[in-house]
Amino acid sequence: MPAEPEILALNALMNYLLVGGALFVLGMLGFLARRNMIVMFLSAEMMLQGTALTLVGFGRYHGNWTGQVFTIVILTVAACEASIALALIVVLYNRRTSLDITLWREIREPELECPVKDEVLEREEAEEIEPIPGPESYPQLTPAGIEPAHPGQAWTERRS
Amino acid sequence: MIFPTVAIMLAAIGTFLLLPHRHGALRPGKLHLIGAALAAVGLVGLLSAYLSFSGPFLSGLFLMVFSLFAVFGGVLTVTSRSPIDSALWFASVILSTTGLFLLAGAPFLAAGTVIVYAGAIIVTFLFVIMLAQMEGKAAYDRAARSPGTSTFTCFLLFWCLVYSLLSFRADYTDQGKKALLPPRDYTAFYVVQPDFPTFRVFSAANRSTSQFVDAEGNRKPHVAGLGETLFTDYLITVELVGALLFIALVGAVAITDPKLPIRPAGPTAPSGLAA
Repeated sequence: MPAEPEILALNALMNYLLVGGALFVLGMLGFLARRNMIVMFLSAEMMLQGTALTLVGFGRYHGNWTGQVFTIVILTVAACEASIALALIVVLYNRRTSLDITLWREIREPELECPVKDEVLEREEAEEIEPIPGPESYPQLTPAGIEPAHPGQAWTERRS
Repeated sequence: MIFPTVAIMLAAIGTFLLLPHRHGALRPGKLHLIGAALAAVGLVGLLSAYLSFSGPFLSGLFLMVFSLFAVFGGVLTVTSRSPIDSALWFASVILSTTGLFLLAGAPFLAAGTVIVYAGAIIVTFLFVIMLAQMEGKAAYDRAARSPGTSTFTCFLLFWCLVYSLLSFRADYTDQGKKALLPPRDYTAFYVVQPDFPTFRVFSAANRSTSQFVDAEGNRKPHVAGLGETLFTDYLITVELVGALLFIALVGAVAITDPKLPIRPAGPTAPSGLAA
């Protein structure tokens, strides 16, 4: 006869599933909503952390090592993903001199319609914004002298 | 189901207020405070109502603290304007997760995660300092991609997850208990029919090397047990993962070839936005 699962073990599993689900959802939100490629990368890593939490919780509930072995596999895949993603970020940054992901929207299928309105159009339609002092405004410093002559090419543009 | 729905709605509204505006418009500080308060009330309410612990008081306390730190670190990672702040909050997420690993009886994983992600976060810092910081505060950090739709989708998914979890939790009948039987009990149940496919699958998945306890019922030492199952049951997985790491190394070297032609004609960052 199969033994009844303990209610206490079930409750401990629920804790891990709840926190793991919250981390996964927050990572998904960051991946969808943020435009900085580095923050998107961190959000993807956070989704992996949520999954790892649920796996460890399930492994503890079932009383075997499978969940922890899966989490080790997730760790190595996350390491691979980090190396490839950071290499890609360097390449994309070199092409556009920006970490903004919306500059790459033309690589989608050309015949597909854009689900989101074009942001340049949106920006033109949006009314002028008056800066309000708050957490999103930054201090403006007056330049303290004549700007010196720059030596030829800036180091960000040098390619050799 | 009313309380978790209200809590998740509060958390969603608070997170939306904390996210950047879609056009990068400035938000007054009061709205930020309201958003932070709403998100805090929603998430603390949800976690404190549905995290249950038994056993020693301290482990329950640490479970609560680590869970709260993980979720708040997650919210702040996603909503911080500066990528350096995001990386720091992500470090707090990692540390809290490793704390939860420790509480779940996985100290090797906790140590491994700290070691791997410490390196990853330092590398991310280097990238932020190299790429993002020399332009100062970027416009794309202060604007979000359709934040309303994203917040709605993600928190709808969260509500679905919580709903399925809680509707299972309320079901303590025989049927509800049977739904989450550990597979080793299924093995005991089907042992009368050795040819039954379910039995063969479950017995292959429940070899003695993959269990926490040995044949006498004694708990195996942690790292020794993990290594035993890793190099017996999951030997091919280990080899595949090693190959994957090597391939990723080759790929990363290949795609960052510095001699490739760079900067073809195409849109670059609008100059007025970079400042």
